[in-house]
Amino acid sequence: MKLKKYLALTRAGIMETLQFRLSFVVMVIGNLLYLIVVYFLWDAIYESAGTDVVNGMTFSDTLIYLVLATALFNFMEMYTVWQMGRAIQSGAIVLDLLKPMEPRSYLFWTYSGNFVVNFFSTFLPTFIVVCIVTHGAVPLGINLVYFIISVIMSIMINYSIDYFVGTICLYTESIWGINIMKQVIVLLLSGATIPIAFFPEPFKTIAMYLPFQSIYNAPLTLLLNGSPDIRDVAEILGTQLLWCIVTYIISKLFWKVSLRQITVNGG
Amino acid sequence: MKKKTLGFYLRIYFKILAQDLKSKMSYRADFIISTIGMIFTNIAGFVSFWILFRNFPSINGWNYYEILFLYGFSLVSLTPVQCLFDNNWSLRMYVFSGDFIKYCFRPINMFFYFQSEVFDIKGLGQFAFGLGTLIYSWVKLGLGFSPLMILKLCVFLLTASLIMVALQNAAAATCFWIQNSFYILDFVTKFKDYAKYPVTIFSAFFRFIFTFIMPIAFIAYYPSLVILRPDNVPVLSWLSPLFGLVFFFLSYKFWMYGATKYSGTGS
Repeated sequence: MKLKKYLALTRAGIMETLQFRLSFVVMVIGNLLYLIVVYFLWDAIYESAGTDVVNGMTFSDTLIYLVLATALFNFMEMYTVWQMGRAIQSGAIVLDLLKPMEPRSYLFWTYSGNFVVNFFSTFLPTFIVVCIVTHGAVPLGINLVYFIISVIMSIMINYSIDYFVGTICLYTESIWGINIMKQVIVLLLSGATIPIAFFPEPFKTIAMYLPFQSIYNAPLTLLLNGSPDIRDVAEILGTQLLWCIVTYIISKLFWKVSLRQITVNGG
Repeated sequence: MKKKTLGFYLRIYFKILAQDLKSKMSYRADFIISTIGMIFTNIAGFVSFWILFRNFPSINGWNYYEILFLYGFSLVSLTPVQCLFDNNWSLRMYVFSGDFIKYCFRPINMFFYFQSEVFDIKGLGQFAFGLGTLIYSWVKLGLGFSPLMILKLCVFLLTASLIMVALQNAAAATCFWIQNSFYILDFVTKFKDYAKYPVTIFSAFFRFIFTFIMPIAFIAYYPSLVILRPDNVPVLSWLSPLFGLVFFFLSYKFWMYGATKYSGTGS
């Protein structure tokens, strides 16, 4: 019964997304072009290196890692900060606060429809293309299960961070700047721009202790390892779970405290 | 009617500009945060090259400082589009809401009036960072210094920026025909990020596409060859000013064609 009200929001989200078919096509083309650029760039890089394996990663490992990181990024991008920022600026946030559902869950579930559509429109095709291009370098086995569990936690961590950053808008009333800062930090420190394995030493260790690597690096590491050691898997998933809980609590508390700060002009 | 001179347009431009800056200054926090955000993005680009070259000596025969030169060049040449043509991002909203009609009733050039309304100050942060990177790599490469080189640099920077302006104009103008041009604009904007790589890494087919169809190779690669490899400059580099002007002119015509087709929303 409780789930039903959430799934109604998911359904509405799917229908809304399917309305904009052109944006869909553009997104798929954009993704493909990105794939091509990354392919040629890293091909040239590996050719200049002269060796096949750099930092324990082969060319196809790097390609899969980066392309799927971007696919995950597109799949998880919820524009939460924009949504919250606009609602705060326009005063529409008052309406969200009046709803018989927590604003946090409401926002999440209205976007869940996008997850479903994006999964089938961007993530899955990219995944298949990558599988074909790399001639089956993606191991298909138990690691897929770990990967899916890991991605679900990634979504939650990503959302908590977004919600935290969106809450900052209550104080600053700046959206673009806050959002771009978040995006840059997350993309760089999560390994989405360059795999974390390539980071030179102190930075690598620092990056591993931050929550951001749990968003992209964790699921992709699990995916690329065909015969994983159960202890490694437990460690990665455990770290993710920990960050899930920590970021959830922090963002929730921050929102609660900040709500007292809110000023709405008219609304 | 009196012929409108360049002086007339300049006077109007600075009048509108002053108004825009005044309204921006009332959101001082937003301005500061946005500028920091902009510089963050640029630093992240810098850091990713730094990490890359810690692992690999060169990319396709281009060393660290040459790549930084390309990066700095692209940042500087992207400043005009960021500072002067930022209103393109709002075009779709004006068209959608019907507010665009106000531009149709002014006795000055529509394109000019529309673009002059917004000046994006945070682009100046990018300009400073880009210039710093350019000078840094220039000194490290020991390129020497002569007035002729500076003149060449200025001319080629200007024409390179025309290309990006043209791409953005064309992308924004699509909203006269389709409802949501955000995806196309976003697509083109993401594309400019690939301008910082030498186009030689691509295969012949994509080199053709990035030169003539999506001309991002003209944003940094071709024009900077004039400075970087003066002994071996391809014809396309010398032609890039011409390409810049042609692309800009075409995009302007396209934009104006869309604008004259605009029929309003009836409100």
